[in-house]
Amino acid sequence: MISFIMGMAIGDFRYQNWEKLSFEENKELSDMQAAVLRCGEDILAYSTTLVMDEVADSLAKISSVSKEIRDTIKNLESIQKGLDTAAAILVLGAAILNRDPMGIGNSIKDLFVVWKGPLG
Amino acid sequence: MKAYRLSPKCSQVIFLIGLSSALVACVNLKTVSDFSATSLKGIQNFEQLDYTFQDHCVDRCEHEAVQRFEFSRSLDCDCGLYLKADSVMLAMYQTIGGYFEALGKLSQNELTEYSTDAMVTSLTAEQLGPLTIDSNLATAYSTISNLMLRATTDFYRRRKIAAYIEEANEPIQVLLDAFQKTTRTNLKGELRFKKERLYAYYMDMKMNNTLQSDYEKGKAATDYYQAMEEIQKKELRMDLFADALLEIAEGHQELYDRRDKLVAKDLALAMLGYSGQVKILVSEFNKLNQ
Repeated sequence: MISFIMGMAIGDFRYQNWEKLSFEENKELSDMQAAVLRCGEDILAYSTTLVMDEVADSLAKISSVSKEIRDTIKNLESIQKGLDTAAAILVLGAAILNRDPMGIGNSIKDLFVVWKGPLG
Repeated sequence: MKAYRLSPKCSQVIFLIGLSSALVACVNLKTVSDFSATSLKGIQNFEQLDYTFQDHCVDRCEHEAVQRFEFSRSLDCDCGLYLKADSVMLAMYQTIGGYFEALGKLSQNELTEYSTDAMVTSLTAEQLGPLTIDSNLATAYSTISNLMLRATTDFYRRRKIAAYIEEANEPIQVLLDAFQKTTRTNLKGELRFKKERLYAYYMDMKMNNTLQSDYEKGKAATDYYQAMEEIQKKELRMDLFADALLEIAEGHQELYDRRDKLVAKDLALAMLGYSGQVKILVSEFNKLNQ
């Protein structure tokens, strides 16, 4: 990067000619060196902000894919809940066939818990 | 009334078919799941870089105040540009991380593991109308149904994952490339300036004969080299992080290239290579943080 090399060169020049330079000249070169380095740092930060223009479209696309994936996960979790409910209904059916009042009571309670439970 | 029973041989055959299809599906989803998990770990190291553009700006601001021997109750640093640069980095980090987290969750086997206990209990009930089933056979049925279910949902998930990988490959390559370049060139580049500023600070001190005693001189030299060492550690961390991003990009490209052959064994082997590389880089990164 040009401003970095310039900053370094100004510094090296100052140290090599330290005795020849007046206090004012040295001070002026030192300030110039600091300004050149500062400018280079700002350019790096600024060019990072410009990357946003290049990646904005990709950011939107990936966010959309991630949302689609999360929706699919939600659907799969709903299927799981449906299957758990189906299993609970089977147990209730067996309890009714067995004419088991306690089994019926417990099964209804289980079914209710499964059905009311959160997804996933 | 007649009781219906399947012969043990028949149920064994059904069981084996179910088991093999479920295992084939498991292996391939595991490949995607492992790669996503490893990638996510590599990406999350962004939080451990321990340096942001704003940090750099504040650091410079403080350094300038020190040089001027200036004291202020609260340092007024103009870091708007640097904060904006951080927000770009953060947007890339969150979006890439969010994608691999979602992909990992979708390919996780836990997502479609159903509890079959209830079904076993109901099938082994002594009296089920005309149907009589012993408990061993009931367990076999429920295992088959679970495996078949897994095979079906895994097929569905595999199809979906292949579609998502296809949709995401081009933009994720753009993002991973931009993220690694801004880390390696821009953020790490700021540290080169910091090193040069430190060099000028200590060299000016030396040339001006500001320091008198041997102790002061030794202390200044020690401070300089300690500061340089800290910066070099940060640079190394950034390089390792950027290298991991490159590996992740290559791994995702491999998944994309073979998205229609997610069943292939050699894909699993190839992905192990990419995951292994990312794991090594993550481990090297973590060692630096110790």
